[in-house]
Amino acid sequence: MSDLAATGLNVAPQTAFRVLVVDDDPDMAALLAAIVEAEGMQAEVMCDGEAAIASVAGAPPDLVLLDVVLPGSSGFEVCRRLKAGPLTALIPVVLVTALEDRESRLQGIEAGADDFLHKPVRREELVARMKMLRRLHETRRELEAQRLAAEVEHKEALHKALSRYVSPRLTDRIIGAAGRAAPFRTEAERADVVVLFADLRGFTRITETIGVHHVVDMLNEYFSVLTEAAYQHEGTIFNMAGDSLLVGFNVPFAQPDAPARAWRTAMDMVSRFAPVSAEWRARFGVATGVGIGLCRGEAIIGNVGSPHFMSYTIIGDTVNTAARLMQMAQADEVLVSATLYESIRPLVPAGRAHAHGAVALRGKSEAVGVYSIKL
Amino acid sequence: MTQDARTVKVSKDLEDLIPTYLANRKKELETLRQALEAADFEQIRQIGHRMRGVGVSYGFDDVTALGKLIEDGANAGDKAALEAHVGAYGQYLSNLRITYE
Repeated sequence: MSDLAATGLNVAPQTAFRVLVVDDDPDMAALLAAIVEAEGMQAEVMCDGEAAIASVAGAPPDLVLLDVVLPGSSGFEVCRRLKAGPLTALIPVVLVTALEDRESRLQGIEAGADDFLHKPVRREELVARMKMLRRLHETRRELEAQRLAAEVEHKEALHKALSRYVSPRLTDRIIGAAGRAAPFRTEAERADVVVLFADLRGFTRITETIGVHHVVDMLNEYFSVLTEAAYQHEGTIFNMAGDSLLVGFNVPFAQPDAPARAWRTAMDMVSRFAPVSAEWRARFGVATGVGIGLCRGEAIIGNVGSPHFMSYTIIGDTVNTAARLMQMAQADEVLVSATLYESIRPLVPAGRAHAHGAVALRGKSEAVGVYSIKL
Repeated sequence: MTQDARTVKVSKDLEDLIPTYLANRKKELETLRQALEAADFEQIRQIGHRMRGVGVSYGFDDVTALGKLIEDGANAGDKAALEAHVGAYGQYLSNLRITYE
């Protein structure tokens, strides 16, 4: 058993080294192919330049043994075209030629040939050159595999790091857009969104009665629960400050079912936090719960900040309304604006929703229809 | 060139190719004769050039040597010399013996 096999790693089978032989002389082509195959490589034969180019485009070989004098496009021309193609430029080309003059050699170099082999072909010389080019090819392939593995590792690390701050979908979009257009538009945009604001009831009491080191751990536990709920329903977390969390739906990705997602997120936040709250009550004697405000409407989404610190954020009346509703909500209560409630009404368990009627919210000139849903 | 039987050693793994190779040489000889009769020196030159390539490559050094003489003769337009070389080529192919190793 090989060392690699012993490690249990899944090693891909080594594919045969493929050599394309291009020669219009059938005897020479057959000879070259026989020598190639005798060395355990795979040979394919083409008898003119255009057929060779088509063959390379269809299945790029690992090496091309190319005659110079060919019907139609000459070997120089074929070589030049292969070396000009981004997908074929790295395929080694050996010009096999009976042309011995300096001019022909220069033409070959200018066409980008990697090596020359003179006719008549000396078998030992051909084999030595093919082996050398095969080693080079394999080294290049190994390096490329290592580079790709490093790139994947880097992306995974980046994904992991970014996922601590933004939702997994947003992370994918940021990483996927690397090198292309920025995932966040420089200019602000208006969009119809659903905003969820959540906040911890009883937090003030916690900070007054419990040691600082416990408070941070408790906040982390609380935010972990809320974040998981938001990510499960693919909400985008815009802000986490103090004990409140701001989540947007239908932004930056279109979510036609944004109201339902927001509602399910709110329910999940409350139900996931319930056992945590019970444990805190038992340990610290504090009563806690989650208060949630939900609102639907237009908002402005964009990057706010300075060139040194940017925040991808969401602002506007819809956000303010959701914040006010959150402030009014009791523990384990969701306050929903009337416009959003109409969208989620079928999802709300019977008898849970109570209309508050039009409520005057601080900072708003017009009263807002509000529904209370106790969970 | 010698007109005696010539023994050429060819690699065993090329054995399958040799019957076709020799058949092509015989066709080539016939074409040479016709071209010589027609004084088609360009065709003769091309054939000589090709003989140079495929001779030694297979282990038939004399084919390469004759090919060079024929190519040079065609370039010089030397019909008499070409007649001699083509004749020698025919003799060579007739007396050829091959062993595989």
